[in-house]
Amino acid sequence: MDEEIVDFALECARSRKIEYAEVRAHSQVQDGLMLRNGVVEAVVSAVDSGFCVRIIADGGIGFASTNKWTKEEAKDVAGMAFKYANSANRREKLVFAEEKGAKTKWAVDQKKKIEDVSLEERISALAEVNRALASSKVKIAATTSSCATNLITKYFVNSEGSRISSYVPRIGAYVFITVAEQGKTEQAYEQFGYSGGWEAFSKWKIPEKMVHDAKVLRDVITKAKAVKPGNMDLVCGSEVAGIAAHESCGHPMEADRILGREMSQAGRSFIYKGGQYWIGTRIGSKAVTVVDDPTVESSYGYYMYDDEGVRAKRRFLYKEGVINEFLHNRESAAKLDTKSNGSSRSVNYDREAIVRMANTFVLPGEFTEEELIEDVKYGVYMKSFTEWNIDDKRFNQRYVGREAYLIENGELKHPVARPVIETTTLKFWTAVDAVSRKVEFDAATCGKGDPEQGVPVYTGGPCLRLRRVFVK
Amino acid sequence: MTDVLSKTEEIVKKAKTLGADEVVAKTTYGKYRQVRFSNNQVDISVAWNDYSTDVALAWKKRFVATQIHSFDDADASIKQLLKLAKISEENPTFGGFAQGSFHYAKSKADKKLENLESPAEYVFEAIEAAEKEAGCRVESGGILFTKFEDVYIASSEGPIGVDSRSAIELSIRAFSEREASGHGVECCSNLKDFKPARAGAKAGEIAKQARSPRIGDEGVYDVIFDPLILGSLLGVWGGMASAYSVLVQQSIFVNKLGTRVAPDVVTLKDNPAAYSMSNRAFDDEGFPTKENTFIDHGVFKTYLHNASTAKMFKTKTTGNAGLVYPTPWNIEMDDGDASRDELFKEVRRGLYLTNTWYTRFQNSAKGDFSTIPRDGIFMIGKGEVKQSLKDLRISDNVLAMLGNIAAVSKERQHVHWWGFEADLPSLAPYVLIKNVHITKSK
Repeated sequence: MDEEIVDFALECARSRKIEYAEVRAHSQVQDGLMLRNGVVEAVVSAVDSGFCVRIIADGGIGFASTNKWTKEEAKDVAGMAFKYANSANRREKLVFAEEKGAKTKWAVDQKKKIEDVSLEERISALAEVNRALASSKVKIAATTSSCATNLITKYFVNSEGSRISSYVPRIGAYVFITVAEQGKTEQAYEQFGYSGGWEAFSKWKIPEKMVHDAKVLRDVITKAKAVKPGNMDLVCGSEVAGIAAHESCGHPMEADRILGREMSQAGRSFIYKGGQYWIGTRIGSKAVTVVDDPTVESSYGYYMYDDEGVRAKRRFLYKEGVINEFLHNRESAAKLDTKSNGSSRSVNYDREAIVRMANTFVLPGEFTEEELIEDVKYGVYMKSFTEWNIDDKRFNQRYVGREAYLIENGELKHPVARPVIETTTLKFWTAVDAVSRKVEFDAATCGKGDPEQGVPVYTGGPCLRLRRVFVK
Repeated sequence: MTDVLSKTEEIVKKAKTLGADEVVAKTTYGKYRQVRFSNNQVDISVAWNDYSTDVALAWKKRFVATQIHSFDDADASIKQLLKLAKISEENPTFGGFAQGSFHYAKSKADKKLENLESPAEYVFEAIEAAEKEAGCRVESGGILFTKFEDVYIASSEGPIGVDSRSAIELSIRAFSEREASGHGVECCSNLKDFKPARAGAKAGEIAKQARSPRIGDEGVYDVIFDPLILGSLLGVWGGMASAYSVLVQQSIFVNKLGTRVAPDVVTLKDNPAAYSMSNRAFDDEGFPTKENTFIDHGVFKTYLHNASTAKMFKTKTTGNAGLVYPTPWNIEMDDGDASRDELFKEVRRGLYLTNTWYTRFQNSAKGDFSTIPRDGIFMIGKGEVKQSLKDLRISDNVLAMLGNIAAVSKERQHVHWWGFEADLPSLAPYVLIKNVHITKSK
């Protein structure tokens, strides 16, 4: 990464009649490994490095990027961004919410440096999953597994004096298994992610986790019974609580979505000005406080400054059941007359930074998991999920259980085959009456933007107990 | 142009000199432009210039790949790649890259899409058409996207060639009310055939009809799928035709070769033809692309292969090689006998769905899934579009739905929109599928 060229690109932009300009350089050293049924299918290794110029001129935004590191290209790209900004011809001129320029460097430490881990060690660690599955006595029809590391260096400068350098090593893994018993199949996948070094890999205990999943799937095929549809209590494991927090709290609270900027792609929100829901409206029970927090150490969604140079902080989205604070970048914050809360992220130099979540979860409560279950006369414990989705206003959602058990008189009974909760955001969060104190995170890749940008996030959180919801 | 091809060939030669058994290199010089708009105004205009060379090589059946962004880095990258290959492990199923010398179809890429002047004008044309058709003020959002790529391929196994690929797409979603919207797309490989107003008019027409929706009812319905929603489903089904999806059990087509999976009326092909946004003369191994019929009058005929998976399945490559795995390019459903209007007349009580998103599987080998229709959802009564509905979900099974396709329209449209939902372009008709399971929130 040539910082001189980045600074030159900013100078080129500043020499034009602009209201704002920034240059963001992004370099990624990526190594990936893919296994099928424990055999190495492919090893992929690449360095991707480039920069973008974003300009506001005449109230329009122009963006241009390149991966050619020459001053000539920098000048061209700055010129293109300027031209595009001026071509917007907007009625409502765009501005960014005020922000002081920041000059800083930040980095994520590694206990065991990713660069020092040989390919042999990576292969051996990942292949261990298949060795463990082979000895589990569960019939596995197929597995795919992958491990990817990404060493990300960024350099951000803007016309307000910001100059921020950062370094984030990230590691991720993904395993997908198909179990075949009695002529039937069931499937599960697990994703793992961490900001830091290779030390994460052993902490994840992937072989143990996948063997557990394989046995659960076998039980779903051989022992599970369908639940009789009806209103009942539902205890959601951290994985289910996490996806619900992400989908029906995090996404609808993205201010760009609320303002309609994603209207054609990821959609709008059930929250909008003049509608039934806005800041101050109750959306859940008092037990529900949902935060989005990029500052969770070592988390998959960790960052100290966002991609507009704004300091990251914890955001309280739903506070004791009430809509509290939207996720903002500088563009959305200006439109709603507030300040950015550091939610602007981009996956690479060739993508604009847009409003994103980082790590979204329900804050823990006072109960143990056992206490949540003990107090249920009849219901389902949905520990993990398989199929899920939500509509584009983020109100009608569905989660289908993968590992699930019937609860009778406070005790776990037989496995339940694919129980389904299909309900609204309001009903889901209003039904929560208790939250566990133990929190477990899951890694995920959140999709948004056009062209699409999958950003690393944590979901997960505590377990939740929902009273009298319809389960089928 | 020849200079870039020579440099791409040099990478192949270098890798061979260093000991690689087989090498393929593909250089892409891409220019991509996009105008994003919402609330009837341009939010951002974007330009990407991307220069990259994808290199895949094998050494003693160890498969490794990289991407190089400057020819100056090529030597070091190739040395590093070989080093990785030598400490990697053997993949016994690696069957080599496509072999042979080929003459490729001449590219029909449209040079005008290399640097389109005033792209925002097309956006405003579509917004205007949406408003005109809706007959009222609508809030529209979407994108205009253009692509122009020069692609150079060289392989140690013989293929060598040059291709140019172009595309233009306008995607517009128009809201006539907060919960009443329509979505239209216009996708082409050249500017001459590109009519942005068509997409706007379709979005406006559906947005108008979608006004005052009520929450629909659960049940089993005969459903007419608009080309846009069918395109999303075709993308999923096409992905499942890849031999790789079959190998990893993420396909309903496992063990389905030669068996009936749909009625006679269903013929599905993969075809990166000249009209398509995915137009291309060769795949990522340099093998010429072609039309591949994978479901022929209801019978599953072939998986989509690269050279390696073809060897595993004892057949020939279908020209679907991606860098690592075989991939579909553009799914076509053959047209049927009925007109769109005749399809509607066949439905006494059913639904007309115009778009969907968030398709997710419980089990992709079995095909159990759900997806959430968005934009216009309509009740059909006695062959006519009646009440506008909302908040419904398809919760069904792919094989069951394929088996229940009852009629296919003559009219077809080339569709593609947002990468997360319908990333694979398709040529989609209207179809009538019987007994589709619909659920909703409780």
